Amino acid sequence: MIARPLAVVAAVALALGAAPSRAAAQAGDATAGKAVYERRCAGCHGEKGDGKGPAADLLVPKPRDFTMGLYKIRTTANKVPTDQDLFRIITDGMPGTSMPAWAVLTERERWNVLAYIKTFAGEKLKEAPKKVELPKDVPSSEASIKRGKEMFEAIECHKCHGTDGRGDGPSRAELKDEWGNPIAPANLTKRWTFRGGASRTEIATRLANGVLGTPMPAFLDSVEKPEDIWHLTNFIQSLGPDSPHYATLVTVTAVTGAIPDDPNAEFWKKLTPNNIPLMGQVIVDPRNFNPAIDLVAVRAAYNDQAIVFHLTWDDPTQSADEPAKKLFADAIALQFPPQITAGPERPYFLMGDGSDAVYLLRWENGKGVSEASANGPGKIAAIAGGEARGNAVFTNGQYRLVITRPLVSKDATRPTFTPAVFVPVAFQAWDGGAGETGTRMSVTSWYYLRLEEPQSNRRFVIPPVVAILTLAAMLVVVRIAKGRA
Amino acid sequence: MRRALTAVVAVALVAGVVFVAHRPDQAGAQGGGTIEAAVTFAGAPVIEKLKVNKDTEKCGTETAIEKVVVGPNKGLAYAVVSVAGAKGAATAKKATIDQHGCKFVPHVQAMTPGEVEIKNSDDILHNIHTYSTANASINKAQPKFKKVMTEKFEKPEIIKVTCDVHSWMLGWVAVMPHPFFGVTDANGATRIENVPPGKYSVEVWHETLGKQTKEVEVKAGQTAKVAIEMKK
Repeated sequence: MIARPLAVVAAVALALGAAPSRAAAQAGDATAGKAVYERRCAGCHGEKGDGKGPAADLLVPKPRDFTMGLYKIRTTANKVPTDQDLFRIITDGMPGTSMPAWAVLTERERWNVLAYIKTFAGEKLKEAPKKVELPKDVPSSEASIKRGKEMFEAIECHKCHGTDGRGDGPSRAELKDEWGNPIAPANLTKRWTFRGGASRTEIATRLANGVLGTPMPAFLDSVEKPEDIWHLTNFIQSLGPDSPHYATLVTVTAVTGAIPDDPNAEFWKKLTPNNIPLMGQVIVDPRNFNPAIDLVAVRAAYNDQAIVFHLTWDDPTQSADEPAKKLFADAIALQFPPQITAGPERPYFLMGDGSDAVYLLRWENGKGVSEASANGPGKIAAIAGGEARGNAVFTNGQYRLVITRPLVSKDATRPTFTPAVFVPVAFQAWDGGAGETGTRMSVTSWYYLRLEEPQSNRRFVIPPVVAILTLAAMLVVVRIAKGRA
Repeated sequence: MRRALTAVVAVALVAGVVFVAHRPDQAGAQGGGTIEAAVTFAGAPVIEKLKVNKDTEKCGTETAIEKVVVGPNKGLAYAVVSVAGAKGAATAKKATIDQHGCKFVPHVQAMTPGEVEIKNSDDILHNIHTYSTANASINKAQPKFKKVMTEKFEKPEIIKVTCDVHSWMLGWVAVMPHPFFGVTDANGATRIENVPPGKYSVEVWHETLGKQTKEVEVKAGQTAKVAIEMKK
């Protein structure tokens, strides 16, 4: 019985940040590690550690080829990572890749498998790791971020990472890793996808010693002053939030006046974005195992006439239909049930099925907004007499789109939106520049959106009335109490 | 005071002259021979042209990846000719790679182990990214304000040099264990001087056509001609 409280204490300690990744290096047993490797790792990394496991073909980025002894994430100035560097990746995984966190393995097993993985590189890892020496930390401040931006421009980070850091720079399409596979520059506005972690020290370390085996070079000796590494770090941190703070409910704001259809209008900047994660469509062929679009930020508002959706998503290239070049039009769609009914019944999330249709509000680059009724991804029929219109802008690797539609529909194929009702909504997106079209898309399952109740003057009346009544009740109680005394 | 200064200068000059005169020269400076190599390729040149989508004011709007450059009389340019197995002291000369017009200049060069000066004459970002096994690979950014960097290639091997910002940029540095090498010019010719007399195998390396060797005998004070035809 003592074991259980102990386990709880241990679990709490772990949760509180006694992170196992900071554990002191242990000498692993490569022989014991082999068994763990063959069970857990070989599927992707291959039995010979060459990164050619059966699953490798489906993965982007490709699994690591351990035989080269080249590791992206190092805290060292030379090629060889420390054991802690490797242990950390095994323990925490690599965000934005297929490498999961192997916390399911015991610490001992992780050290053992680490020892085994190192044997694949043989002599190539025999050099002693040399810790990189970062310049003295400069805390973030407005001045530091400003200097960081200057340096970002001077050292031309935008060549790969893009002017606004969305990974859409002009060299993007040319980049290859050490093995000749195409590799995408990091989207610096999505820090939670950073392969080696998003803390300031981690960002500064990547800047200082580069990301081995990728085009990302070392900048430690290539900035004007050593502390510029920290100014750059602070600037990169200022480019986006630390986490996507995914939404579960999209609130549609009630507005009395007109709603602007300019995607860059101040009005939209004031609304809080509801970030919705997207996944690759892997249910019907052809599937999309490596979706290009992973997030859409949704804002929405309505007035007595119309409901207006504002969608923001990153896409490195603006592309139109050019099937000969395997390029397709970028597109996005909102999906609703054709009629909003109470109760949990909803059509099949993947564009409906034979018995239940869905309503699609779709925008396509070059074609604009259209409405359609779908009974599955292969059965999409345009709805005649389109009532929706759209307005999109594309700047520095980002689309911003406004779609306006009447609030009420008299037609059975299109939903009518009513305040205070939970409306099922799903999203689909296509990066045509990455070859996405048809079922090769990003999808979500059903989410809900809710039109907030129109604001009335009652909120100025009811609370004071309640307050007065409460006070009166208290006075009565006091009086009775005094009477008894 | 002036006299003392004059004396110091005089001593320094004499010392300098003596030092230069006594500098240990390459092996066989007096007794060595010369190899004149003529490298040819019967096939067609392979030059890939591509449009440039950035930095066009520095890189031009079109660039070429020169995979096989064939000059007059089938002369093959950019082939490294070296005397396999020769022994000799390293040259003190630093090798230089210039990044100019979004190209590595020279495209191919050979050097003895030591320092290499990497210049950026373009006023834009390049990154020097080397592919090597004996030497540590380098991937260092060289922004516009970093005009010169010095790196070390200490072990003999052939190193590929690329720039990820401009993916067409490609250079090669052959690090040789001895100073008896040359890189063919536009006519496919190169001269290797002061080679100690003896029988050697001359090795030719080309970035896409691979390696070939040919036997040659070097005699003191004479020029040995060697013709090598590269094949696919």
